[in-house]
Amino acid sequence: MAEEGAGREALLESLHNLEERALPVLAERGSADEEALAAAAGMQEAQARTALGWLQSKGLAALVAEEEHREVRLTETGAAYAENGTPEERIWRHLRSAGATAMPVLMEAAGVEKEEQSGAIGALRAAGAITIGPGGKVEATDAPEPATITRDRDLLRAVRERQPAPLESFTPAEQQRLQEMAGGKRKGKGLVAIDLRRRRTYALTEEGKAVARLLAERGVREEIGQLTPAMLQEGSWRGARFRPYYIGLNPPRVLAGKLNSYAEFLDFIRQKLLAMGFTEMRGSLVENEFWDMDALYMPQFHPARNIHDSYYVQEPEYSDPVAEPFATRVAQTHENGGDTGSRGWEYRFDAQRSRRLLLRTQGTALSARTLAAGPKIPGKYFATARCFRYDQVDATHASDFYQVEGIVLGEGVNFRTLLGLLKLFAAEIARATEVAFAPAYFPYTEPSVEMHARHPSLGWMELGGAGLFRPEVTQPLGVSVPVIAWGLGIDRMAMLALGLQDIRDLFSADLDLVRTRKVTETWK
Amino acid sequence: MPTITARLEDLQSLIGRELSLAELEARLPLAKAELKREEAGELTIELNDTNRPDLWCAEGVARQIRAHAEGGLAPYTCYVVPGDEVASPTEAVIRVSPALQGVRPYIAGFLIQGITITDDGLKQFIQTQEKLSENFGNRRAAVSVGLYNAAKITWPVRYIDVDPQSATFVPLGFDEPLTLREILERHPKGIDYRYVLEGQPRYPLLVDANDQVLSFPPIINSRALGEVKVGDDYLLVEVTGTEMHQVLLAANILAANAVDRGGTVLPVRCEYPYDTPFGRAVVTPYDFRDSVRVAITDVARVLGQDVEMPELGRCLAAYGLGVMVQDGAIEVMLPPFRRDYMHPVDAIEDYLISAGYNSFAPVMPSDYTVGELSAIEQLAGQVRKLVVGLGFVEIMTNILTAREDCTTRVGLPDAPLVAISNVMSELYSVLRNSLVPSLLRMEGISSRATYPHRVFELGEVQVYDETADLKSRTEVRLGAIIAHASASFSEAHSYLDALFYYLDREYELAPVAHGTFIPGRAGEIRVGGRPAGFIGEVHPAVLEQWGIQVPCALFELTLDTLL
Repeated sequence: MAEEGAGREALLESLHNLEERALPVLAERGSADEEALAAAAGMQEAQARTALGWLQSKGLAALVAEEEHREVRLTETGAAYAENGTPEERIWRHLRSAGATAMPVLMEAAGVEKEEQSGAIGALRAAGAITIGPGGKVEATDAPEPATITRDRDLLRAVRERQPAPLESFTPAEQQRLQEMAGGKRKGKGLVAIDLRRRRTYALTEEGKAVARLLAERGVREEIGQLTPAMLQEGSWRGARFRPYYIGLNPPRVLAGKLNSYAEFLDFIRQKLLAMGFTEMRGSLVENEFWDMDALYMPQFHPARNIHDSYYVQEPEYSDPVAEPFATRVAQTHENGGDTGSRGWEYRFDAQRSRRLLLRTQGTALSARTLAAGPKIPGKYFATARCFRYDQVDATHASDFYQVEGIVLGEGVNFRTLLGLLKLFAAEIARATEVAFAPAYFPYTEPSVEMHARHPSLGWMELGGAGLFRPEVTQPLGVSVPVIAWGLGIDRMAMLALGLQDIRDLFSADLDLVRTRKVTETWK
Repeated sequence: MPTITARLEDLQSLIGRELSLAELEARLPLAKAELKREEAGELTIELNDTNRPDLWCAEGVARQIRAHAEGGLAPYTCYVVPGDEVASPTEAVIRVSPALQGVRPYIAGFLIQGITITDDGLKQFIQTQEKLSENFGNRRAAVSVGLYNAAKITWPVRYIDVDPQSATFVPLGFDEPLTLREILERHPKGIDYRYVLEGQPRYPLLVDANDQVLSFPPIINSRALGEVKVGDDYLLVEVTGTEMHQVLLAANILAANAVDRGGTVLPVRCEYPYDTPFGRAVVTPYDFRDSVRVAITDVARVLGQDVEMPELGRCLAAYGLGVMVQDGAIEVMLPPFRRDYMHPVDAIEDYLISAGYNSFAPVMPSDYTVGELSAIEQLAGQVRKLVVGLGFVEIMTNILTAREDCTTRVGLPDAPLVAISNVMSELYSVLRNSLVPSLLRMEGISSRATYPHRVFELGEVQVYDETADLKSRTEVRLGAIIAHASASFSEAHSYLDALFYYLDREYELAPVAHGTFIPGRAGEIRVGGRPAGFIGEVHPAVLEQWGIQVPCALFELTLDTLL
C-alpha cells in the first residue's frame, strides 16, 4: 500500500500541466474524445491529443472506442457557390430579371466561367427552365425556380452552417448529392470535400481515477514555463513548480555562420604543411607561357601546350618581355641545353610565344617563379593554387580547380629524401602507414615518382606525384642545389573527405548544401 | 597520355614467359604503365611517359619487361650504322624529289621478311601506327606511317611531288580512282588530315618504278599496294614527316617491333637531292648510337647513397641499355628505338626504376625550416573567422564564369574583363572581376534555403590592368551578402563596420554611382583615402536578372588594400 502510494505520488509529480487539466475532465465525464476534451479543458486539439497520449503511456487513461466517420466541408468553389449561387441559379435569376440575353453578355453578367457554361445551360434546358431562341438569345420560361437549384443552394448553405458536419447527419438523398458534389468530374473541382476522420475516445483507468482524485485533493498547481526577469526580480519563482520539458523534441534549426567545408579541408592541408616547415607562395591567375611552361622545360611543341589543353587570354595576348637573364638562359636550354649538361630539346625557341598570356595551368608556375626569385636554402615552399585546364566540365572535370604543390631545396635533397618527404605527407595528411612508390613521368622532373597510400578507412588512393627538378629547370633559374617538386591530388582527397561524387559540388553555390555539409569523420 | 589495348596471350608470347595477369601488372611500372581494364584477356594499358614512344605498343611494353626478366636485351642487329653502305641492298631505294623539301621533306623505310603476318601482329601494327602518327606525330603533321605489301612493289620507289588536280589513284576503301584534291574532299581520312597540307600547291605521293601509287602521305594508302592482309609475308614500312629525328625514331621503333615478332628487317636507302641533318643518303632503320656518360658520384648524389659500379651496370643492362665502364663513369648506350636521353639524370632514373623505387629506404627530410603563410593568406584567415562570427556562411565558387554574369547581369555593361580566346563554353568564358556575380548566383539558386541568408566568399578575382606586366592582376577580395525580407544598406553597413572594428582599421564611405545598386544607396569603401571596395542595396533590376525575390544588400572589400 505504501509502495503504491509512493508510486502514485511520483505519477502525480510527473504530470504535465496539460495532463493536470485533462484528468478532471475525464474524471467528470467518464470518457472523452480529443475534440471534446479540447473544448472542455480549453486547449487546442493537438494539445488534447498530446495529453491523452501521455496519460495513456503512463497507464492513467485507456482507449475505449475508436470509430471512423466522414466529415463534410465546403471547398473554395463550394463556398463561393453557397454565397453567390450556383452557375445555374445565377443564369436563371439574371434571365428572370433582365429578359432574353445573348449568350456572351449573359455569361459575363452572371459571372459564369467558361468551363461552367455548357454544363449550366444544359442542366437548365433539361429542367425546362430556359429556351434558346432564334439568334442564340437565351430566355427564361415561366416555370418556377427549378427544384435542383433550390436543393443545391439549401444543401450548400446547410454545410456552410454546420461544417465540419458529419456526413451521417444528412438524409440519404442529401448524402448522395454531397457525394456527387465532392466527386465532380474534374479532380479538385468539387464543391465539397468529404474527409475520413478517426475519433478516439478515452476513459480513465482505475489508477487514473485514483490519481485524478489525488489531484483533486491537491489542486492543479501554478507552473512556471519560461523563467522571466520579472520572476527573478520579484522572487516569485520561490515555491513554484517548474514545468518539466519534454526534452526529446527536435529543436528549431539554428542558421549558423559557418566556414565552407572545402575551405576547412584546405585549411587542414595548409596547417599540416606549415607544421612541416613550408612557406606559402602566391601568384597571379594569369601567367605567361614562360613561367607556366618554358621555365619548367616543357618544349614549346609539347602536346600539352596547345589550345586543346590550356585557356589563352583574348586580349592583350602578350605580357611584357620576360626578365633577363632568365629569358635567354631558358631559351638556350631548350635549344641546346645551354650550360646545363643537357642536349636540350633541339628546336628553335620562340621568345614571343614565351610572352603569350594564358590562365595558369599548374601550380608549378609558382615554384618556377620562386626559384628565380632567390629562395631560401634550405627552403620549403607550397601553394594552394587555383588552376585552369581546357576540359569539358563534368563530374570529374572542373573548369577551375585547386592544386596543392611545392618545392623543397637543399644540399641534402635527393631521391631518398624525396621518398621520405612523400612518406611524411602520407602519414600527416592521409594518416597512411603503408605507401607504395611507382615510376612516373613529368616533363620537369627526373627521376619522377607517384605515390599511393593506404588510408586507414578509405583504402589505397593515389596521393600525389613528385620528383627532382631537372637541371634544365633549376640551373637557368639560378639554383644550384637539388630541388624536390611535389604535388598532391587535392581534388580527389577533398571529395573523399567531404563524401562527394561530383567534383563540381566542391564549388557548389547551393546554400542549403553548403550550410549542411561537413568534413566527414572518415578523413579526420 | 597514350592508352593501348593488347591481349594477355600476345604479351606473354612477346615477353617469352607465362606471366599471370597479376604478375604482369606488378611489372608494368617498369614501363611507367598502368593496367586500366581487363576483359576476357584483352588488356587496356595506359602509358605515362610521353617521351618514350617506343613503349606505346604491346611489343614495347613486353620488351621492357623482358629485358628486366632476362637481365638485358639481345642486341638488335637490323639498324644500319651510318656510313655502312654495304648493308643496303641495292634495289631497295627511295628517291626523293627536290620540291618535297618545302612540303614534307623526310622519309624512312625498311622491309620485313621471314614472318607471315598474324591477326595480333596486324592489329598491334595498326595501333602502333596510330599512336606514332597521332600522339608522337602530332596528328600526322610531324610523322605518319604507311605499311605495304612489298611483293607487289617494283624498285626503286620514288617520293615525288604532284599536282593535286591531275594525279589520281584508287585509295583504300574506294573502288574508283580519285584525284588527290578529291581524296581530301571526300575520303574520311582526307577530311580528317587535310589540314596538314593546307596551303601547299603540290602534294606528296609515293610511287614505284612502274608508276603504281603506294600512298598519298600523310593521308591514305592506295588500294593496289597499300592494303595489307593477314597472311602477307613480305612488307614495306615507310615513315614520312617534317622532323627528321622523329621520322627516323618512328621507323626504328617499328623495326624493333617487327624483330620482336620474329621478322627479318632489311634496310632501305633514302636518297635526297638536298641536305638533311643526316646527309643526302640515309640508310634506315638508322642507328643513332645515342649515349650519355654518367659518373658514379652523380648517381650517388641523386640517390642519396653510395652505389657499386657492378650493381649500377647490372641494373642499367636489365633496363635494356648498353653499358661500358670507364674510370668511375659508365657510358650508357640507348638502343636505336629510344632517343629520350637529354641529360645523365635520364639514365639515372632508368637505373632507379630498374632497381625498383620500393627497394630504397626513404629518408625523412632533416633540414630545419620555418613555415609561414603569406601575408594575404594570414589576413584572409583572420577575416574569414570574423565574418563567420558575424553569422555568415562561406561559399567557394568557380573563378571562370560567363561574361554576362560580370557585366549586364550586375548592371555594369562595360566592365573590363580578362576573357578567354579559345572558349569551350560561354558559361566559362571570362575570369570573374568581382565576387558579386558569385554571391548573386548563389542567391538565385538558393531561394529554398531558410531565410535570412548571410553569405560570404573570400577569393581571388582578376582585374584588367594594362600597366601590370601580365596585363592584369589577381586580387583577394571579401564579398558578403545579406538577403531577407528587410535586408538593407544599414544592416550591411553594420557588418562592414563591425569587421573594420575588429580588424582595428579605419575606413570611410563615399557616395558613389554604381550600376549594381539602387541610386543613393551605394558607397565606395575607402581605406587610407584609396578605393578599397563598395557597399550598397542591390538594384531590383539586378535582382530580377538572377531571379532573386528578396531584397539584398552586399559589400565587397579588396583585402590587398589592407596589407
